[in-house]
Amino acid sequence: MRSILTIILNDLQIFFSQRGNLPGLLVIPVLLTLVVGWSIGQIGGGGPTRLRVDLIDLDQSGMSAQLIEDLRAANDTLVLCPLDNDAEDFCRLDDEPLPLERAIERARTGRTSALIVIPAGYATALENFERVVIDYYSLSDPLQPGLVLQSLNAVLQRASTASMIPGVAGALLDNVISAAQLPPLEGETRDGFLRALYLRSQQLLTERPSPVSFRVADSDGSSGSVLDNGFSQSAPGMGSLYVMFTVLGGMSVLLRERRQWTLQRLMALPITRAQILGAKIGVYFTLGIVQYAIVFAVGAAVGMEFGSSPIAFLAVMAAFVLCITALTFALAPWIKSEGQANGLVLLLSLSLAPLGGAWWPLEIVPEFMQTIGHISPVAWAMDAFHDLILYNGGFRDVLPEVGVLLATAAVLFAVGIRGFRYE
Amino acid sequence: MQTMVETRNLRKTYSRPDGSTIEAVKGVNLEIQQGEIFSLLGPNGAGKTTTISMISGLVEPTEGDATIGGFSITKQSMEAKRLMGFVPQEIALYPELSARQNLAFFGRMYGMGGKALRRRVDELLEFVDLADRQNDRIDTFSGGMKRRVNIAAGLLNSPPLVYMDEPTVGIDPQNRRRVLDTVKLLRDEHNMTVLYTTHLMEEAQELSDRVAIMDHGEIIAMGTQDELTQQVGEEDRLEFTIGAQEIAEAVFERIQGETPGVTRILFNPPEQLDEDSSVFAPALLTVFAKRGRTALPQILQELDSAGVEIQSVAVREPDLEAVFLALTGRALRD
Ligand SMILES: Nc1ncnc2c1ncn2[C@@H]1O[C@H](COP(=O)(O)OP(=O)(O)O)[C@@H](O)[C@H]1O
Ligand SMILES: [Mg+2]
Repeated sequence: MRSILTIILNDLQIFFSQRGNLPGLLVIPVLLTLVVGWSIGQIGGGGPTRLRVDLIDLDQSGMSAQLIEDLRAANDTLVLCPLDNDAEDFCRLDDEPLPLERAIERARTGRTSALIVIPAGYATALENFERVVIDYYSLSDPLQPGLVLQSLNAVLQRASTASMIPGVAGALLDNVISAAQLPPLEGETRDGFLRALYLRSQQLLTERPSPVSFRVADSDGSSGSVLDNGFSQSAPGMGSLYVMFTVLGGMSVLLRERRQWTLQRLMALPITRAQILGAKIGVYFTLGIVQYAIVFAVGAAVGMEFGSSPIAFLAVMAAFVLCITALTFALAPWIKSEGQANGLVLLLSLSLAPLGGAWWPLEIVPEFMQTIGHISPVAWAMDAFHDLILYNGGFRDVLPEVGVLLATAAVLFAVGIRGFRYE
Repeated sequence: MQTMVETRNLRKTYSRPDGSTIEAVKGVNLEIQQGEIFSLLGPNGAGKTTTISMISGLVEPTEGDATIGGFSITKQSMEAKRLMGFVPQEIALYPELSARQNLAFFGRMYGMGGKALRRRVDELLEFVDLADRQNDRIDTFSGGMKRRVNIAAGLLNSPPLVYMDEPTVGIDPQNRRRVLDTVKLLRDEHNMTVLYTTHLMEEAQELSDRVAIMDHGEIIAMGTQDELTQQVGEEDRLEFTIGAQEIAEAVFERIQGETPGVTRILFNPPEQLDEDSSVFAPALLTVFAKRGRTALPQILQELDSAGVEIQSVAVREPDLEAVFLALTGRALRD
């Protein structure tokens, strides 16, 4: 173990003594993180383009169904949970029911962008032109309403305004009928008439202030609007890209060590081949973690969010770096020259990074591209980082992604270790 | 005397990318005694490095085994490796680190540390006369200085046995002298066993207690220098350098028939060095003769009367070159 550490420290010393390595490790990724982060922040694309929103419908009426339908139409990026959950469990429900308490907890911890509760009696209240309170829970700042609140606002304005029309019309109708001494309308006819009025007015009216009020949970303001921070996308993205550059660069270093015979000299020492290999793996793993740390430190300085689970965050970093380290060792035996190695580093980094959503969130590309993108380990890492940063997820939420990365690493390591050329 | 290294039927077959195979070492049996300088002499490609790589645990033998101080290099490699130092043919150092950093690193890999390590590094820097440049990066060193650090790195653990694979390749005469003296010092003052490989007859001749001559992956002769030269008999070797000239077969026959003591004649015809130019490597005529000095005047006369222009003449007493020539029909240096 001591000799492994000695080799790792020595190789790191050599890495850092080569001035040429520093721009790639430090300057360029930091600059890119800042530039990409700021530009994403500017165009407002920093957040995910699918928002996880819990919706609990305690009313279960036609009116509430209408509200839900309107909400979907108003903003197709909203995924209403549990109603619109997909096969991949975007809602992160783990096949468990979503009672109110759990939904509130999810909203409070930021795992969902918001929780909307349609109260029992919503329909009755609207029909009777009564005041109704829709509960809205979110960490977002109510003064800077996020996407969900804006959508909800728009829909509820329509709903509440429209509800006034049949309310007024109904009263007017009753008044007119009694004043004109007409026979009273049958219940069903009257209801049908008022409903038609309601639907029509809902189409027409959008501008009137709403009698529906909001209650915003836990808006302490300090957590800011996580959706607007471009660094939450750029730091993990650029970090992952440069982890690939740095770690995959190990292919040509391994080649050079064999050519300059320092690898052979190590083998003449009283240490096992496994120790040498373990040390070399340790070197590139460490460099990858250092690379991430540099980029995330800069991210932290400019206000990037890290979510609330440092352990999970570290686990994702480690899993991705391990996966790329394994890729390095799996490819190394096939490399014949340093030129070839450098070409392959560029090719792999510059294809796997954008494919996996390092530059822009994968949610904005067509679905088939998202599927293809998951060939890239970057996609899995970015998914996991988004879970942590944007949804305040915990270790359990990133377990699938970490699992995929580790399994890939295991397979690649098996290939790399078997093929490692000592001679 | 105790046996330090023993190899049994060492064999190495490499496979080439095109699928063909090459037998780099074809069943080598060696025995190196404690305290001797043992040379492996052979032309480039003979299999010297491959042999050394197998007995230092770098390369797994295709067949056979070797023991170092009684420990099998394949089955007890840790114990065997602790007994040996290794000076590879390449400069196996980290060019980005200083001489001192390189030595300290390899020392730590032997489990050394603290004061003991510092003292050993100081000692070795002194030994190879580089104390004043110890903090300079290796890539700023001259070839000779790199070679010296390369040697020091092989001596860190004060091993009883050291392998040196062509440690004088590519350095100036002054540094070569220094290296050769160092090797002798290791044996004479540190009581070390040295396995030394070279393609230079003079080095093997100067250093070795015993020599193994290697060609095409095989040991073709082995023993002390005296034992080896006796194999070619008492014959001297007369070497005539001749201009770009062909010599008629009849001239050879006359020399061989009429000069007393002449046993054999080898002729390497002139070689055109460059296709487009008229530059030729001179032809070399080698005549083996008992009492060469006595035979010389008559041979000169024959050549003169045949109109052969002689550029230089050398009389060589039986040496390792002669052994190689006698066994392979080729000169060692080509
Ligand atoms: N790794 C290898 N792969 C294939 N062939 C090799 C390898 N190493 C050496 N050889 C071949 O084996 C032969 C012996 O090489 P080597 O042991 O280096 O000779 P020497 O050290 O005496 O010059 C040469 O023909 C060389 O080309
Ligand atoms: Mg060699």
